[in-house]
Order: sequence, then C-alpha cells, then structure tokens
Amino acid sequence: MTQASTADVLIVGAGASGATAAKHLAEQGFSVVVLDQGHWTSPSDLPGNHPEYELLWGNHLWHPDPNMRSRPEDYPTNLDDSEQPVYMYNGAGGSTVFFAAVWSRPLPSDFRVRTFDGVADDWPISYEDLQPHFDATDRDMGVSGLAGNPAYPPGAPPPLPAHPIHLTGLRMAEGLNRLGWHWWPGYSAIPSRAHGHQTQCVRLGVCRTGCVVGAKGSADVTLLPDALRHGARIETGARVARITLDENGLASGAVYFQDGEEKFQPAKLVMLGANGIGTPRLLLMSDSARFPNGLANTSDMVGRRLMLHPFGSAVGLYEDDLEDWVGPAGTQIECMEFYESDPSRGFVRGSKWHVMGTGGPLEMATRWHIGEGVSEEPFWGAEFTARMKQSIGHSIDWIVHAEDLPEEHNRVTLDPTIADSDGLPGAKITYTTSENTHKILDFGLNRALEAHEAAGASKAWVTFRNFSSGHNLGTAKMGDDPETSVVDKWGRSHDVPNLYVIDGSVFPTSTATNPTSTICALAKRAATHIVETRREQEVSTA
Amino acid sequence: MSAVEVRLEPFGGVVLSAAQRERLALLADVVVAGGAGMPSASGAEVHTQWIDRVIAVRADLAEAVSRVLVLEGDPDEVLAGVRAGDPELFSGFAFAVAGAYLINPRVRRELGYPGPAPMKSPALPGEAEAYLEDGILDVVIARGPIYRPTPDAR
Ligand SMILES: Cc1cc2nc3c(=O)[nH]c(=O)nc-3n(C[C@H](O)[C@H](O)[C@H](O)COP(=O)(O)OP(=O)(O)OC[C@H]3O[C@@H](n4cnc5c(N)ncnc54)[C@H](O)[C@@H]3O)c2cc1C
Repeated sequence: MTQASTADVLIVGAGASGATAAKHLAEQGFSVVVLDQGHWTSPSDLPGNHPEYELLWGNHLWHPDPNMRSRPEDYPTNLDDSEQPVYMYNGAGGSTVFFAAVWSRPLPSDFRVRTFDGVADDWPISYEDLQPHFDATDRDMGVSGLAGNPAYPPGAPPPLPAHPIHLTGLRMAEGLNRLGWHWWPGYSAIPSRAHGHQTQCVRLGVCRTGCVVGAKGSADVTLLPDALRHGARIETGARVARITLDENGLASGAVYFQDGEEKFQPAKLVMLGANGIGTPRLLLMSDSARFPNGLANTSDMVGRRLMLHPFGSAVGLYEDDLEDWVGPAGTQIECMEFYESDPSRGFVRGSKWHVMGTGGPLEMATRWHIGEGVSEEPFWGAEFTARMKQSIGHSIDWIVHAEDLPEEHNRVTLDPTIADSDGLPGAKITYTTSENTHKILDFGLNRALEAHEAAGASKAWVTFRNFSSGHNLGTAKMGDDPETSVVDKWGRSHDVPNLYVIDGSVFPTSTATNPTSTICALAKRAATHIVETRREQEVSTA
Repeated sequence: MSAVEVRLEPFGGVVLSAAQRERLALLADVVVAGGAGMPSASGAEVHTQWIDRVIAVRADLAEAVSRVLVLEGDPDEVLAGVRAGDPELFSGFAFAVAGAYLINPRVRRELGYPGPAPMKSPALPGEAEAYLEDGILDVVIARGPIYRPTPDAR
C-alpha cells in the first residue's frame, strides 16, 4: 500500500467545513492533507454557461441528487425508506458548488431549544461562543449584507455591502410593511464587489447550478486556494474507505482509494468534514474490534437524528414586470417574523423565509405543472404561452425553511445492497418528515400566501410543501454527555480524542436557517481550538 | 497541486429521423400550441432544431420523447391518453418540448428575457441604497429587536 509522510492534520472532505478547517490550520503552520472523493470542477463545464442550463441541472452530471447524477465519485443512497431524496455535490468545494449561498446565521434561541421550548436539546455552546467565528467565516466566504437587523443580536457588520433587494424584494417588502412583519435585505455568500479570490457578482441568477464567473462563496473558490497557498495538500479522486486507529485507540490516518489503488495517509489528528451523510457513513465503515458498531459510536448515536430540513415554496404572480431572474438567486429579502416559538400556533419552533430568484422559464413551467390548485387548471396546449407570458418576469417566490427537530429513527446506516465505484457500501437513508415540521411548513406557507396578497399578487399558490434542501444535519450529535452524543462542544469525539467531526453532522438541532454559515463557524472554531490546545492535544505517533 | 481537471461530456443521445421529426411537430404542438403573440412548438423549430439540444443533455427526457413518438393515432388523443394513463411519461414529454421551446432565443426574447442565456448585469453603484432610500426599512427598525437573547449569555 502506498504511504505518504505523516500529516499534522488529515481532513476528509473538501467542502464547506473541510476547506474552512484546511485554510485556518494551514495558515497556522500545520501540515494539512485533504482527501476528497471528487474532483475540481472547471467553471467552463458548469450548466450556467449554456442556454440549456435548466435542463443540465437535472441530468446525469449535474443533478443535485447523487443517485440521478451517478458520477463515479458519487456514492449511492438507498431511499426506499426516505420521504426525501438527499442532495449534495462531491468534489473540491463540496456541496457549496451547488449551494444558493443564502448565508444565514442561527438565532440565540436555536442554541437553547430545550430551555426555551422544552423540546430536543440545548447545544453545549451558545450563539455568543460562535459569534467571532461567524465574523471570520463571513470574511472567508465574501458575505454581503446590511448591518442592524433587529432579528439578530448586535455584532460586526457583514464584510461587504448588501446586494440590491431588487424589484422583487421591494415589492414584497412593501407588502410585509403593510402587515407589520419583519423583513431585511438578504445575506449572501456572494460578494457585491470583488473580494479576495471572488469576482464581483454579475447577477446571472444561476447560483444553484454553480457560479460560472467565480463570484459565489464556493469553497473551491474562496477557501481551498488559501489552504494550498499555505502548503496544504489536496488529493482529489481520493475516496476514504476507513479511518484507522493505533494501538492506543487514537486515529492514525485513513485508508483511501485513488485511481483504483489502495493508499494510506498517516496523520497525527483526523477531522471529518464529509457532509451529514458522508461522515456517519465513514464512521460506520470504520468499525473495528474496539468499535464494533462503528468508529466513535459507543453512544450508538452515529447516523441517528438525521434532519433533512425540508422546505416549502409559495409563488405569487404580479402585474408589474419584476425582472425576477436577476441574481443573486438565493435571497433578495428575508423574513424572521415567524422564527420563534408561539405555543398558540400548535407547534414548537418556527421558520425562516427568503425571497428567491425564480430560476428560469422551465422552473416556472414546473410551478404551474405541479402547483397546488393550479395543476388542475389548463396549462399545456393553448394556455402554455399565455401562462408563461403572465408569469415570466412577474413572479416572486417565497422559500420557507422550517426547523426540523431531531428524531432518533431518522437515520443514516450502511446499505448492504448498493455500493460505490470502489465497492464501499452506499448510505441507507431512513427519514420521515415529522408532524411538527409539517405544521411549521404549512403555517409558514399559509402566511407566505398572505404576504403575497398584501404585496398585491394577482395569483399565488404553494409549489412545494416538503422538499429536500441539501441541508444534511444531525448525524453525529454534539453534546456534553458521552452517553447521548458523539462529539463534545469542540467537535471532538468522546471516544477518540484526536478525531474531530466538523460538518453539519454535529448539529444537535437543525435551526430553521440555511446551515452553512453555522457549519463553517463550527469548523473554524474547531480549528482554532486545535491551534490553541496543540500542546495538550493527544496525537497518534503510530 | 494534485488537482485532476475532469472534462465532462454531455450524454450523446438519439438522433431523430425526418419522419420522427414530422411526427414530433404534430405532438409538440399539442403541448405548446402557441398564442398570446408567440409561436407554436413547431413554429419555434422545436422539432427541427431545439429538441436535439434537449436530447443531447437529458437521457430521461430523450427516452420520454422516444416512447411517445412510437404511439400512433391522432396527436391530441395520443397525448390525452398518455396524460391519463402515464402522467410521468406525459410530464417527461411535455418538459422535453417545453425545454426545447424555451431555449429558442426568439422565444426567450418574446418572454422578456434579456438574452438567450443568463446575462451579466452587475449592480450599478448606489443601486442597493436606492431601494432603501425612502426609509422603507424604518418601520422594521422602529419595532426593535425580535430575537430571544441567550438566557445565560456571558
Ligand atoms: C442544491 C443545494 C443548495 C444549497 N443551498 C444552500 C444555501 O443557499 N445556503 C446554505 O447555507 N446551504 C445550502 N446548501 C447546503 C450546503 O451546501 C451544505 O450545508 C454545505 O456544503 C455542507 O458542508 P460540508 O462540509 O458538511 O459538506 P460538503 O460541502 O457536502 O462537502 C463534503 C465533501 O466530502 C467529500 N466526501 C464525503 N465522503 C467522502 C469519503 N468517504 N472520502 C472522501 N471524500 C468524501 C465529498 O466528496 C464532498 O466534497 C445547499 C445544498 C445543495 C445541495
């Protein structure tokens, strides 16, 4: 087996979390090796360069569901027992290649869900613990936004000025003002002017199919170049099969496949940033005599509490031309009016909403074709062109993200029947959207329809009530108690003291926000902790 | 850097015969009949030109097109039957036709899109501020904080 020299830190996954840790550790002089099963994505290959970008996003190369994409670097998921598909991208930058770059901090109450609402668990850390790391990762990812949002505690302003809220945001803001509901210009990890490695956003509006101009805060654009500059080694096409242990029970490196060859990368410390699905999969694949149920899994919590964080969407049509295709696609304005719990609503926790660019004409056709109420109306045939004229450029889309509370039966396990291109087991997903999550979504969507009415929509309807978000969370819970959690408040395994989990797996609760800001802040905090405790840190010397 | 640049080629799909294209013209016009100042599917060269780009990148839609093309009979009746009996196949076919129609630059222009593909339009200096100039955010700010602070914040 080929073996490289020992790294100070080995990171599995070059996505949002892995790239954040790689940059900050390499900058501090650590020797860092990153292994990712996927490859670098050339901007010229991305769908957004082509007129048929909407069609490309559903094909065998670019579909957000790895089962539909099925590139050799993707691992399959068995969805027989899952209500939702699981979305992700595997390669340098990870799922940030596809993410809409909606950059959303959680609220203080998200860290105290049990204290405030008597459900799920408090996080072992607070909003204030993460605040300096939010600020740092906002700079890393080129975040644009407006300071002073009353939905959040005071803090440093976003590093870049907000994008225009555009005609869509303005129109909806007027409606929300009529209702007396909160709104604020959206935050995007997309720079409103050139920033670091990122170019200024040119508002193509195709963010979710990959940014073709290198503006979006895709980790391969923002973070990995800095990691490389500080000496990190990034191995692509390198699929990790298992994390190894030395005789002291410390993580000693990873066995991986690259170009069909089995290799070993030794390391003093190992970090997993392989996504909320890939990380539990890898821990479960790394079973041993010491950990027969999977590495770092004496709690039996690895893979459990999966939160797929489904969202809903409600579109409205307007008489005025609102140029709804203008980017950044993710968020023109956001609304946190219904974020906090209100027991009178019949559910706990709440939702975060954002106005999103409407994608393209084919996405608009989908809205008509499947929309609640409108799918029964004539659309195809003689109606098609009139309907499209009525809606293209004239729509506003509300995305409603619900908090998705953890349930132990929602989980990731290894699937004995399907395997990836290296013969490693696929991930079996067991997931049912809970009644509470449904209630939050239904309530939020009904209010979103009211917002459309207040903004003067001529017609509005719900397109999705329970749709997969690509937010894969909760499968290696963070907590103080080793009996009920996988990692401690730094992301360090309770069982293996030099093994860290730094991705969305560690979320004790999902929050109702888009998670990547929190994921990056957690990864940055773990990296800073490793730097600060380097003298006390137990490391493998195998 | 040990980066592997992978060039990804799109799916090399089916090539339609002249007879299939003729049949497609009739079926596609059932899906997009035209009107409101816009052409039908065949009027927008869906069957002669744009369908090829759909087929080239989407194996699933190519299959739906092939499966519908072999069905004989009156186009309206054929598609009504497909819609009733196999809604998924109907969706595949309808989206193949719509996808082809909607990448025709003429169609996009008539729908109000600024270009055949997404167009660059960087924000103008002062554009973001202009939207907020009239104090539209004032009421939101005046209502004050709406978050619940950390109870044990240090
Ligand atoms: C379509 C879409 C839209 C989204 N929009 C938003 C948004 O607007 N805002 C937001 O906050 N979030 C959004 N997200 C979610 C966001 O992309 C993720 O939260 C974030 O990328 C997760 O970071 P991560 O590091 O945990 O995992 P990823 O970024 O997914 O990276 C994980 C990496 O690990 C690698 N890996 C996994 N297993 C192995 C293995 N065994 N060996 C080697 N490598 C491995 C993978 O190849 C991958 O590159 C979106 C996601 C999708 C799919």
